[in-house]
Amino acid sequence: MKRIISIILTICLLMVLAGCSNAETPPVTPEPDEQTEPETPVEPEEPEEEPAEEVTILLAAAASLKNCIDGELIPMFAEKYPNITVDATYDSSGKLQAQIEEGADVDVFISAAMKQMNALDEQGLIKEGTKVELLENKIVLILPKDSQAEIASFEDILKAETIAVGDPESVPAGQYAKESFENLGLWEDVLAKASLGTNVTEVLSWVAAGSADAGVVYATDAASNPDVKVVAEAPEGSVSKVIYPIGIIDATTKLEAAENFAEFLQSAEALSIFEKYGFSAN
Amino acid sequence: MSLEVSVKKKFKGFSLEVNFRTNGEYLGILGASGSGKSLTLKCIAGVETPDEGRIVLNNRVLYDSKKNINIIPQNRNIGYMFQNYALFPNMTAEENIGVGLKLPKKEKKIKTNELMKLFRIEDMGYKYPAQLSGGQQQRVALARIIAYEPDVLLLDEPFSALDSRLKSELHTDFLDLLKLYNGEVLIVTHSKDEVYRFSENLALIEKGTITGFGKTKEIFEKPRSLSEAKMIGCKNISQCSIKDNKIYCSDWGIVLEPKDIPENCSYIGIPSNSFEIANEAGINTIECKLINVVEEINEYTIAIENSNGNETKPIYFNINKEVWNNRKNKDKLYIKINDFYMLK
Amino acid sequence: MNWSPMVISLKTASVSIIITFFLGIFAAKLVVGMKSDKVRIVIDGVLTLPLVLPPTVLGFFILLILGVKRPLGKFLLEFFSVKIVFSWTATVIAAVVVSFPLMYRSARGAFEQVDKNLIMAGRTLGMSERMIFWRIIMPLALPGIASGGVLAFARGLGEFGATAMVAGNIANKTRTLPLAIYAEVAAGNMEGSYGYVAVVVLISFAVLSLMNYFTMKGSKYINKDELK
Repeated sequence: MKRIISIILTICLLMVLAGCSNAETPPVTPEPDEQTEPETPVEPEEPEEEPAEEVTILLAAAASLKNCIDGELIPMFAEKYPNITVDATYDSSGKLQAQIEEGADVDVFISAAMKQMNALDEQGLIKEGTKVELLENKIVLILPKDSQAEIASFEDILKAETIAVGDPESVPAGQYAKESFENLGLWEDVLAKASLGTNVTEVLSWVAAGSADAGVVYATDAASNPDVKVVAEAPEGSVSKVIYPIGIIDATTKLEAAENFAEFLQSAEALSIFEKYGFSAN
Repeated sequence: MSLEVSVKKKFKGFSLEVNFRTNGEYLGILGASGSGKSLTLKCIAGVETPDEGRIVLNNRVLYDSKKNINIIPQNRNIGYMFQNYALFPNMTAEENIGVGLKLPKKEKKIKTNELMKLFRIEDMGYKYPAQLSGGQQQRVALARIIAYEPDVLLLDEPFSALDSRLKSELHTDFLDLLKLYNGEVLIVTHSKDEVYRFSENLALIEKGTITGFGKTKEIFEKPRSLSEAKMIGCKNISQCSIKDNKIYCSDWGIVLEPKDIPENCSYIGIPSNSFEIANEAGINTIECKLINVVEEINEYTIAIENSNGNETKPIYFNINKEVWNNRKNKDKLYIKINDFYMLK
Repeated sequence: MNWSPMVISLKTASVSIIITFFLGIFAAKLVVGMKSDKVRIVIDGVLTLPLVLPPTVLGFFILLILGVKRPLGKFLLEFFSVKIVFSWTATVIAAVVVSFPLMYRSARGAFEQVDKNLIMAGRTLGMSERMIFWRIIMPLALPGIASGGVLAFARGLGEFGATAMVAGNIANKTRTLPLAIYAEVAAGNMEGSYGYVAVVVLISFAVLSLMNYFTMKGSKYINKDELK
């Protein structure tokens, strides 16, 4: 009897453990909107005249956008369009692409590279004409905040004794750094002095602590850490551009609200916020 | 040759306060576990430091709290034998014996060989303590402390680590070996037999203080205080009061009439071999009823009670089996008390 | 397979175990000899702390002392042109910090289980404190100390978190075996790590066997069957 009980308990424990390890962020499920009427012709932009309906749209965006969108842009948008609620989910662009392909109820999508957007576009999942190259994230050279070193450009990189760079094998920013230095003919020498980080945060903290004399990261990463200073951008043409495109999902049922939001994000106001966080307007 | 000890030390739960002096003869310190006897030895050896006091060995001051003298154990020239012998497990018997000898290698080897012969362990010198029997370990330990001829030997329960079966034989053996040493010996033990065999003088220690001191044989034959009587193992002790030259033993409800009564007699002790079966009542004879008979190997232990008393404690005595079984008067029991101790 | 991480790791572990070994024994001797219980508890806590703190916290503390922004680091840089962080020396420092508590505790345990009566006996027999330490305590404590040394070596070899923080991940300089393995796995290159992992497993197994050997040897003097 004791044996049976312990076997049952073990099986239960294993099931619980299996269940726990499978728990991921549940796929995208927006709140069901009670009042959704697909074709209500809403008069554009006159909130004083008619009380506009409550709409909720779902934004799927690359993880690097979380801070500025959640932090500032969504609240700003809410002031302009109090009737539109923006729910947002952030993750790696690849994962989001997969979720949208599986039919997730996303209305607006912003990815960290053209690749994922193009893939969806080819499958006809992006509404015609809504794909816009929204932002660029530059590859930048950073030094510790108080560094006196005379390193002013990517070409000067070898003046640094130790260089912090993401591991090109596993970190996208590292891959771009490699590309850039290769085109400058400096990669082999850089590699010899390079401390390879397994993620961009590690690279940032090495430079911030002064342990590394210089490092290469995304502009947005550099902007997030006050202990580093940007001294140069990757030379024009030395590295492919890191473009963040925005697109409206074809299957959206809240086209107008989605369009409003996408339009807002392209406005000068929104772009200045993006720039504050290190992005460049495209 | 003498050792003067006068120390005080607060210890776990009690206070050690001892004062005694030796006169060249062996001194036994008898006490129960935790009475402070080992602690006393350790203070003399210097491995424990008293709170205050004075220790003088052969006119050499080892410790004097007033003058701030506290000689380290290494320089006290004493020999200490631990209860578990404390032989160094990573050294052979021969190496152990030679540890205290400050001689060059060759002389050391000669001396240790000599000792091993005397102690009859010469063919075990290469063995490690773990390979020796209890008795052999004891001899190595003794040889080790005699080797460098210290001023005094301190033996801490030297037999407690051995089987009782062997003890008797080993006692005699040990005493013979001890004669190889020419100094004073202090032996600490909880065994009456050991202290009786080994030491001419006896100190009784209870809860940190010395409650009796004198010649061993005298104390055993005629203890003078309650402590001494208890210590020598007297089983029959009663409180008493004196009236008209008679002693009323309240615990047993009997009256004893000695020849003369000492000044402060508050207790009576009766050794268990001073009883005799009598035929009738008389002086120092009690009519008693039998409580219990326990058969020992060679005799009976009889427990009796005063027939005329109420709520009295039993009295125990030993008697030869035949004598008991052949007693004439089997319905009434009269027991005569031949000898008793009058205790302070 | 690139042998460099293995060479670096072995170099680091070898140098750090020598330092840790003597530091640990010295600290243990000090703590065991302390008279005040209260002081002993506090010092023991401090010395054992690296054992329970996450390696990244340890890296943080090492940076706090030796980082180039800190007084000591700055001083070394300006006056001796020596930058400890991101140098091979930093791998040794990280390894020493994480392995020290293991050595210290093993040594302390080994010292404390030596029968106190033996020490007292040594004193009454006229042995100086020094002789007692080298001829009685050390031989008897040696198996425990040796097994502690082996454990500390293994810990130093496997050190990762603090090393990444203070020594960085520089090929041929500070890229130790654990860092190399992690990089391969992060890049999704499992095959590349097989070689490294095999080496680590082999060394760990050898280490454990050594430890068992020393522990068994320790019972030699007590168990008479072993002596025959």
